[in-house]
Amino acid sequence: MPINKEHISSVNKAIVRWGICFVLFWTTHADCQSKMAFITGGTYVPLYGRDSLQVTISNFFMDVYPITNEEFVAFVRKNPKWKKSKAKKLFVDGNYLVQWKSDIELDSSQNLKAPVTSISWFAAIAYCDCQGKRLPTVDEWEYVAMANENLADARPLKTYNQFILSWYEKPKTYNNSIGSTFKNYWGVYDLHGLVWEWTSDFNSVLVSGESRKDVDKDSNLFCGSAAIGATDLMNYAAFMRYAIRGSSKAKYTMRNLGFRCVKDKN
Amino acid sequence: MRNIQYILIFIGILLLQFSCRDGAAKNNGVAIFECPMHCEGDITYNEPGNCKICKMDLMEVAKSVRKVEADYISEESIFNLTTKWVTEENRTIELKDLKGKTLVMVMIYTTCKAACPRLVADMRNIEKQLPQENRKNMHFVLVSIDPETDTPEHLKAFALENQMDEEHWTFLQGTKDGVREFANVLAMKYKQISPIDFSHSNIISVLNAKGELIHQQEGLGVDNKETILKIKELIR
Amino acid sequence: MKFFKRIIQVFGFTAMAILAITSCKRENKNNQATVIDDASKIHISGEMEAELTAPPFVPAPVGNRSAKKLKIHMEILEKEGTMTDGVKYVYWTFGGSVPGSFIRTRVGDEVEFTLANHPENKLPHNIDLHAVTGPGGGATSSFVAPGHEKMFSFKTLNPGLYVYHCATAPVGMHIANGMYGLILVEPEGGLPKVDKEYYIMQGDFYTKGEYGEPGVQSFDMQKAIDEDADYVVFNGKVGALTGDNAITANVGETVRLFVGNGGPNLTSSFHVIGEIFDNVHIEGGSVLNKNVQTTSIPAGGAAIVDFKVDVPGTFILVDHAIFRAFNKGALAMLKVNGEENKALYSGVVQEGIYNPEGGTIQTMPTDTKETVENKSKKTLQEKISSGKQIYTNTCFACHQANGEGISNAFPPLAKSDYLNADVKRSIDIVLNGKSGEIMVNGAKYNSVMTKQTLTNSEVADVLTYVYNSWGNNKTNVTEMMVLEVKNAH
Repeated sequence: MPINKEHISSVNKAIVRWGICFVLFWTTHADCQSKMAFITGGTYVPLYGRDSLQVTISNFFMDVYPITNEEFVAFVRKNPKWKKSKAKKLFVDGNYLVQWKSDIELDSSQNLKAPVTSISWFAAIAYCDCQGKRLPTVDEWEYVAMANENLADARPLKTYNQFILSWYEKPKTYNNSIGSTFKNYWGVYDLHGLVWEWTSDFNSVLVSGESRKDVDKDSNLFCGSAAIGATDLMNYAAFMRYAIRGSSKAKYTMRNLGFRCVKDKN
Repeated sequence: MRNIQYILIFIGILLLQFSCRDGAAKNNGVAIFECPMHCEGDITYNEPGNCKICKMDLMEVAKSVRKVEADYISEESIFNLTTKWVTEENRTIELKDLKGKTLVMVMIYTTCKAACPRLVADMRNIEKQLPQENRKNMHFVLVSIDPETDTPEHLKAFALENQMDEEHWTFLQGTKDGVREFANVLAMKYKQISPIDFSHSNIISVLNAKGELIHQQEGLGVDNKETILKIKELIR
Repeated sequence: MKFFKRIIQVFGFTAMAILAITSCKRENKNNQATVIDDASKIHISGEMEAELTAPPFVPAPVGNRSAKKLKIHMEILEKEGTMTDGVKYVYWTFGGSVPGSFIRTRVGDEVEFTLANHPENKLPHNIDLHAVTGPGGGATSSFVAPGHEKMFSFKTLNPGLYVYHCATAPVGMHIANGMYGLILVEPEGGLPKVDKEYYIMQGDFYTKGEYGEPGVQSFDMQKAIDEDADYVVFNGKVGALTGDNAITANVGETVRLFVGNGGPNLTSSFHVIGEIFDNVHIEGGSVLNKNVQTTSIPAGGAAIVDFKVDVPGTFILVDHAIFRAFNKGALAMLKVNGEENKALYSGVVQEGIYNPEGGTIQTMPTDTKETVENKSKKTLQEKISSGKQIYTNTCFACHQANGEGISNAFPPLAKSDYLNADVKRSIDIVLNGKSGEIMVNGAKYNSVMTKQTLTNSEVADVLTYVYNSWGNNKTNVTEMMVLEVKNAH
């Protein structure tokens, strides 16, 4: 068979052309739509319940990793109103993206693959919204976070609690790369060991900071305060998470506070 | 030629990325009209017609002027929130429609049996201590924590029952997300603890005519001297 | 008439006397009333920045200054520190030290308190000052997220020495990590003048590893709940106030100690060996007790003690629940310099032998004979350096950094005749402890050394270190020698 050189070159070119398109599409969309893990819903007892102690969670998807600095840079490029020089004071405090060198550049000490921190609740909401996602609720976050590598609910294990508590004693974990802690039962990384994470209804945590009073059912401050009682006085790690939520305001930004998004099943 | 094709495809993909939801915000095509003689001060209308006082034809407000006015909202103003609310009179508004008057705001839900009646009483108490003639310069706004139950009809009934149906009282029903966002702007905490009950912090907030937070009073039945003082400064 | 005059006179006197008594009483009442009323009504004139000091120092006394608006700026830092040699711990601190900065105010001051939470911190915190009259002692108003600050103010109404601490959930853990300190409210005109003032605060710590286990030790929640402390220390670490860090005074001076107890769990039986407190403000309040040996300081409480130091020497401050002092670190030192005063303290005057029934020490014999399993051959140098580590963890508190010991309490190991005379005896003492009277370098000691829980090779190393230091006879103590002594019982 005679070999038609021209034919081969045109086939090759077509392959190359589609290849380039595919790569371009993949690279640009892959970091916009980060990987998600499927979470099978269920019923559990969170530290702070409601009228009944149990809370029911529906099926949903959760980002495998927290949002990174790199992803957030891409976001502010697309949405200039969230640049640190542009963001409105109603929505962010004075430390918003404080470590960044400029509106769209990280400082040399920052790690592109580290979780983005120093962002407000409003900024986190806007990011997830842009992805067609939302922030997890406190109950959803806690539901996924009670897992260790092998168990959906590892809270009774001493080692589980001890691991989380030891994080509080490690400095500067916010600059570690995502994926540097364990992969949990659901396939989700970094819920413990990197940074705190925003939740959509963080302001449903009614701790006043006066922890001893919070034990009381002080109906003068909050109505329906029967739900204020904690269910597990031994879960120190959870107490700390609820304390950080209780101390936050939506425009606050903190160096140890990042976020990830979730999506409903349909 | 082929190179140009690739570049175009590349740019196309990039553009797809950049357009992330920006379109949704740009739906502000409604024209605004006002009396050229400003007989009614700054009052504007959403459709053409005659001035009620001098009967002149209303003129469309120049778009550039509107833009300046819109830009005038300061960074710390709650009028930056663009969520939609429905009043007890079934009107759909944005928070910036409340602009120009001193605002006294509180979050409640109408089925609440514990703290809310006392919060409502606190609001009424504040209103009573202010001079009658100032009321037209004020909005007392009660925002529902429970938008599912508190429909405009419910809110209207609640207003009537509590004799808070005059012009300066406004009740708002929002969306679930809108209410959460509004609460966060005022650093209010709340949590649904049963289908009909919420825990919530008891805060009465005072905002100036530009929508900036001036003062917050926390607690039930607390001494409201300072709150009154702040409001009087604002409406003077 | 005369008779009548008498009657009138007597009557008059009695009446006057009664009047005098009642008016006296009334005056008293008035006085008390005015004192209490005053505190809230004391006018403030001017404002000033408060001087804050890290322990063991305290700011200058208030003296005669008027009540002022006192501005306090305190920063919360979560940071790694040293618990004892080789042991690190992440402390949560008010002002960077454990205990936190000392705050000195006077009654009637209006304190404007700003609490700043460093941005690198992971946790929200707050402060509950026991000197505050108001809900939560300021806790609710000061609840502050990392990278933020909160301001609140209060008026000091009651004079006294008060504890402050963090009250954020889980509150026990925040206190156990070091979040406590003292605030002093001086009465009008200040406390009586003394020569030296120091700030000491006891705290108990709960670590994953046992006492002395090297490395970064994390907080152990279960031990804290069980109240099973690994460390009980003054000023946040073992040896914070010993050796070169000891507090000092000169003979003839009056020393005042502001002593607090942060807890979280244990009550302190605070005692200074060889001193008697002339005055104790019991529980930091207004009741003055005199001539006290040991004062009880509850967790979350304080005491002000003062005493005149009349003789020179090193005075040991301990929690007299004594195992805490010897095994967990609750030991501090006050070094007093100056001329001896034999009239007050003689030193040894006479000595002799007293042996009514032959006093050998009875211990449970170890019936399992051990053998040397691990014949790792360490060089002398390796043994000495490992021995030094063990020494600083185990022996240092009593026998001191250079083996000088502490006179009248712990015998010296430096140039020690007793030590150099008999190696086997030394091994036996380390293995099984020692009590009763011994003579070392011409001085008599009578105290108790507990049995040390060290492995055979650790005993060998630490003794080799001791024998090869401070002018001793350079014996190389082997594991085999230790084993022999052990098996000889």
